[in-house]
Amino acid sequence: MPEREAGDIGNATALLRRVVLRTPGWLVSATLSGVLAAVAGLWLPDAMARAVDGALAGNLTGAGVPLLLGIVVTIAGADAANEIATAVLTSTGTAWLRKMVADHVANCGDQRGVRALGDPGDLVSRLTGDAAQAGGVAATAIQLVLGAITSIGAILALALLDPWLAAVFAASVPLALLLARTHMRTTSGHIATYRELAGELSARLLDAALGIRTIAATGTAEQETARVLRPLPALGRAGHGMWRTQAVMIWRAALLLPAVQLAVLVAAGLGVLDGRLTPGQLLAALGYTGMGMTLIGYLPTLTTLATARAGAGRLVDVLRIPMRQSGDQPLPVGAGELDLRDVTVLAGDGSPALSDVDLIVPAGAEVAVVGRSGAGKSTLAAVAGGLVPPDRGDVLLDGVSMRQIKPDDLRAAIGFAFERPALLGGTVAGAIGYGSDADIDAVTTAARSARVHDAVCRLPDGYRTPLAEAPLSGGEAQRLGLARAFVRAPRVLVLDDATGSLDAVTEAEVDSSVRTSLPGHTRLVVTHRLRTAEHADLVVWLDNGRVRGTGRHVRLWRNPDYRAVFTQAAE
Amino acid sequence: MSANSAWPGYLASLRGTRKALLALAGWSLVEGGPALVSGRLVAMAVDDGFGAGKPWTGVAWLGVFGAVALLGAIGSRFVFARLGDVVEPVRDALVTAVVRGVLHGDLATGHRADASSVARITRHVEVVRDVTAGLLVQGRSLVVTVVAAMIGLLDTASPLAVLVLPPVVLALAAFTLLLRSLARRQRELVLSDERCGAVVGSLAGGLRDVLACGGQRSASRDVAEAVDAQAAASVRLGMAGALRGLLVSLGGLVPLVLVLAAAPRLVADGRISAGAVLGAVVYLTTGVGPALVALGQTAGTAVLRLVVTLRRLADVSLVPEPQVWQENQPAGTDILVRGLTFGWGVAAEPVVRDLDLRLPAGRHVAVVGASGIGKSTLAGLLTGLLPPAAGVVLLGGVDVGQLRPEVRRELVALIPQESYVFTGTLRENLALLATNATDAELTLAAQRVGAGELLAGPDGLDAKLGHGGVTLSSGERQLVALARVYASTAKVVVLDEATAHLDPATEAMAEQAFAERGGTLVVIAHRLSSAIRAELVLMMDGGRPVLGSHAELLTGSPGYAELMRAWTGQVSAA
Repeated sequence: MPEREAGDIGNATALLRRVVLRTPGWLVSATLSGVLAAVAGLWLPDAMARAVDGALAGNLTGAGVPLLLGIVVTIAGADAANEIATAVLTSTGTAWLRKMVADHVANCGDQRGVRALGDPGDLVSRLTGDAAQAGGVAATAIQLVLGAITSIGAILALALLDPWLAAVFAASVPLALLLARTHMRTTSGHIATYRELAGELSARLLDAALGIRTIAATGTAEQETARVLRPLPALGRAGHGMWRTQAVMIWRAALLLPAVQLAVLVAAGLGVLDGRLTPGQLLAALGYTGMGMTLIGYLPTLTTLATARAGAGRLVDVLRIPMRQSGDQPLPVGAGELDLRDVTVLAGDGSPALSDVDLIVPAGAEVAVVGRSGAGKSTLAAVAGGLVPPDRGDVLLDGVSMRQIKPDDLRAAIGFAFERPALLGGTVAGAIGYGSDADIDAVTTAARSARVHDAVCRLPDGYRTPLAEAPLSGGEAQRLGLARAFVRAPRVLVLDDATGSLDAVTEAEVDSSVRTSLPGHTRLVVTHRLRTAEHADLVVWLDNGRVRGTGRHVRLWRNPDYRAVFTQAAE
Repeated sequence: MSANSAWPGYLASLRGTRKALLALAGWSLVEGGPALVSGRLVAMAVDDGFGAGKPWTGVAWLGVFGAVALLGAIGSRFVFARLGDVVEPVRDALVTAVVRGVLHGDLATGHRADASSVARITRHVEVVRDVTAGLLVQGRSLVVTVVAAMIGLLDTASPLAVLVLPPVVLALAAFTLLLRSLARRQRELVLSDERCGAVVGSLAGGLRDVLACGGQRSASRDVAEAVDAQAAASVRLGMAGALRGLLVSLGGLVPLVLVLAAAPRLVADGRISAGAVLGAVVYLTTGVGPALVALGQTAGTAVLRLVVTLRRLADVSLVPEPQVWQENQPAGTDILVRGLTFGWGVAAEPVVRDLDLRLPAGRHVAVVGASGIGKSTLAGLLTGLLPPAAGVVLLGGVDVGQLRPEVRRELVALIPQESYVFTGTLRENLALLATNATDAELTLAAQRVGAGELLAGPDGLDAKLGHGGVTLSSGERQLVALARVYASTAKVVVLDEATAHLDPATEAMAEQAFAERGGTLVVIAHRLSSAIRAELVLMMDGGRPVLGSHAELLTGSPGYAELMRAWTGQVSAA
């Protein structure tokens, strides 16, 4: 991905402009076809009036008919072309925004910036909902312009037929609107009540869905269905209330068009009587009145435009997350020594999550990181493994600052495994090989090392089982995450509480197979377990974001505060 | 499994609201008034009034038009007011079907409803409600308008009818023919939308892992593939929609041209009046034409959305066919397992293979083994939750999977690791399996399993629990589940890591309480201390499971001995 400076992202309007101008060909097609349809539509009542008058005058040549046919075919054809062009415009614009923003997120290199914007669900709604709204901006703008052409053109056409008609139209619309609006503001608590009850119902359903094993075991599905559905009668009452409220609003709105039409018809009828208008033109007046009224229908489209802008704004927020400065130096051959120099990492709220850490993880050593929850263990693992850049200080891998190492080299050198890994890559095999170019043999070998091969074989389709259909326990997911770290044979392995869900025997097996399959590599292990700390070459004891002590477990064990870390962690 | 397809269910629930639908139809007639008489009144206003030099007659006819329009608006109002009578019962029926479907869910497939799928189901139900209402308002008024305008046209200018009817009918026929392919396109779009959301969701939720694996390129590529597929699907739908729109709008416009081409001769021959021609044009331009265009644009899309959404809901509202239950009462509660085999798929390696086991009533057994070895699966099989691929579990001589649920409930209870705690009082939660239990019995049960503290609050058993038991810790939720089963009549209790979130002392107390309660106790062990407390231990290590006492297994099962050594080493160090 090309580096992008924060400066040239601009604001929401600039982003929308880029979306609109991305596919100029389709933009022009959509505009032209739309204008053509609108103009032909405006011409139709007039051409019809002439044909009608001709027919009424007994003109047998039917001279106006070919023109009329032409107009009709043009309207239908241009509308269809407009629909296609608009669909292409919207979908390509949306797709471009989604891909660009997703790329930025994937490459921003520092998840803290993304997390600061909101939870993962919020990011998903930006990438799906907001991108779709912003992507539809061209279509919305064209629709607005065409709406304006149609309605303003229709009012002009009315004025051309007879200035009185336009005057009657102009006078009756505000009156009719007033009539309709007086009750439009009828606000109602029904909608809020309805939403609340619907939320209550789905919360109950979720409770029951999560307890499905209990329900199935006790055969109480019917009884629990009744329990979940308890808010249903109240929901129905709120729903009825919503419709009754709407009925009042609708009936006012339904009066609007006929009222204006009637006023214009009377004026036009009198015009026919005076000889100012022909009967055909009376029909045309009726047609133009309907078109002129569409102006009111287009008003909500202005809101859509505002929504598109708001959506673009939420995407700009994401694009403003700075890209990580990545290095371009190849990583020299080395044994995997980590050197943290005066490292400070800030949490999302600006408070230090890790302060002034100086630490050397010797090549080939196993270093355990212990501490109470919230002491900064995971942050230390992340910064030592180059997952989060330090806000102050520097982290060196085999003597080279991680800032200068090529990202690909860095990622190949450091393998991560987590307590709760997010498994990506579609299938089980894809999840283990994710981000590497490992073949199926390498994947299988890594799975054996992580003691998960047998469990994979028990899945419905073995290694090809889609992750969504794999009934994985927490321990199995954890071991797949370990296999994913092993498959790239890194020089440094960072295990962030990555064996916490495994029983003692499995953990010991994983441990010994790591020693044999990845000999000599460095290990940084975040752990709650005593056994791991005992076996480690070095223990780093964190307290409140600072290193409280380093050394062998036996030496630290004399400190009652150190012992307290494990009694607390025991549960 | 019977496909309790949402579509027939939907239609059935609509039929159930027949009275309300009839009322709607009645008000529709009123609403269709303006469409029926608009052309005729314009024709009369011109023929008898403005065209005949009698302006007030013309204005009077237009006044009648106004009155009819008012009546039509009143019709719309009542249509809306009655809408709830149709829409809300349909929504009720749908919600009920879906909730039943989720709660009768088939555990053997490994699919479980989670927060996002519940949210999706809820959204789908609301879509059906809104679209049904939209169709009743719009689609119904389209039909009413077209029919009324056609009747008015036939009545006002019958010689023109032969010109108008064929194109309109052709357009409607083409529209119907296109619906199937449109529905397919719409479904493709919905699926690609969901896929897109899923891929984006895994990026958003797994960003740390993407970075840690250097998977940026894979992630970008996955998103790009899903996004491009979504864009292609929406363009395809747009094209199909354009074709549909073209046909339908031609269906409305072509009759107009035909009428105007034929009119001069008909007027000259004196077969219709000038006003009738005007009236016919009014019917076509204000009634039939706009209604057909609206049909092409909105109503068609709404029908498609409805069909597609209902089909998605049909997948979750599957309810298993009522099983043929075994009517024999179990004789005692001895458990006999013969040749038991189970795997998560046809091609998969079985999790449990050819297991034979005899558990006389009243024994206390612990099941131990590495994580993922199939201990929970065994718990599901023993309690009849999962259907074995081969073999049988007999409880008192009767296949446990074929016991009537109400009989099974009285005899067998399973407490899974994830506790079911629902919104309501503590009393309701504790009495789930013992609806007739007194407060004293419930309190005793809670105290025995170590959940006495839960009742210590000011409200006691009346304490309110929120959704998902958010007011409780995981451990407290497990205590609720334990006390609930303790208070039940179950003679066979299976604890499937049901004490995982309790501290060792509370765990020991709970297990002790169940051991003293009487009946058979099977503990799927989270900690090995459970094995030492049990009379018998079932060791599962991927091979043939071994059953014996703790002492027997220490000498007889190398796997068990190793497990114990590893564990005691860990504990003694602490």
